[in-house]
Amino acid sequence: MNNAGKALRNARVMRDMKARHGVLTNEVTRRAYLYVARNTTLPPQVRHQAQLQLNTFGKYTRPTTVKNRCAETGRGRGVISEFALCRTQFRLRALAGELNGIKKACW
Amino acid sequence: MAAAPRVLSSKLKALTRLRCEIFQTSYNPKNLRTGAKYLRGNLTGPAMATYYPKVISLSQIAREFPKMGIVDSKEAQRKQDVEDRKRRGKGTPKKAKTKADSRRQAKRR
Repeated sequence: MNNAGKALRNARVMRDMKARHGVLTNEVTRRAYLYVARNTTLPPQVRHQAQLQLNTFGKYTRPTTVKNRCAETGRGRGVISEFALCRTQFRLRALAGELNGIKKACW
Repeated sequence: MAAAPRVLSSKLKALTRLRCEIFQTSYNPKNLRTGAKYLRGNLTGPAMATYYPKVISLSQIAREFPKMGIVDSKEAQRKQDVEDRKRRGKGTPKKAKTKADSRRQAKRR
């Protein structure tokens, strides 16, 4: 590992972790409100109230704010989600033999 | 080839209803938006929360097990440096309580 023992993460990763935590803690209530708000068989007043409640949730409670970033560098593009690594870090780790079952192609 | 036997639509409806009862899905013949999909889907939060691997730092271990006597040498060095800087009068300035204070501090810098 390149940054062994590095406790501090990239600020963007920290923000993403915050979003993930927010999603986890608010998911059930948000779903319940979504169900009421999107249910056309319920009276419009009730649906509107539910929508207003949905609007009170923070930005970091929506699952769409979560982005899979590189755990090593915090890069947001070219991330191989399965390993939580960007393509460069993935290559470096793979070549170093740190990723089980990953082998450089050769034919 | 014989034509497929005609089935009454009412019977088909009854069949769908029965199927919904058996498989515990909501019976919605008019395709109304009931919001059922928000309850049907699996919760994604637990999987999302475990995406980043846990990073364990030396100071964390030291905090958890104080009896082991682990010293984070980097952190100790940093604290020492801050102390040295303070002694030389290069520590962080005190927070200004009033506006006049902040003006004075800005001048001094």
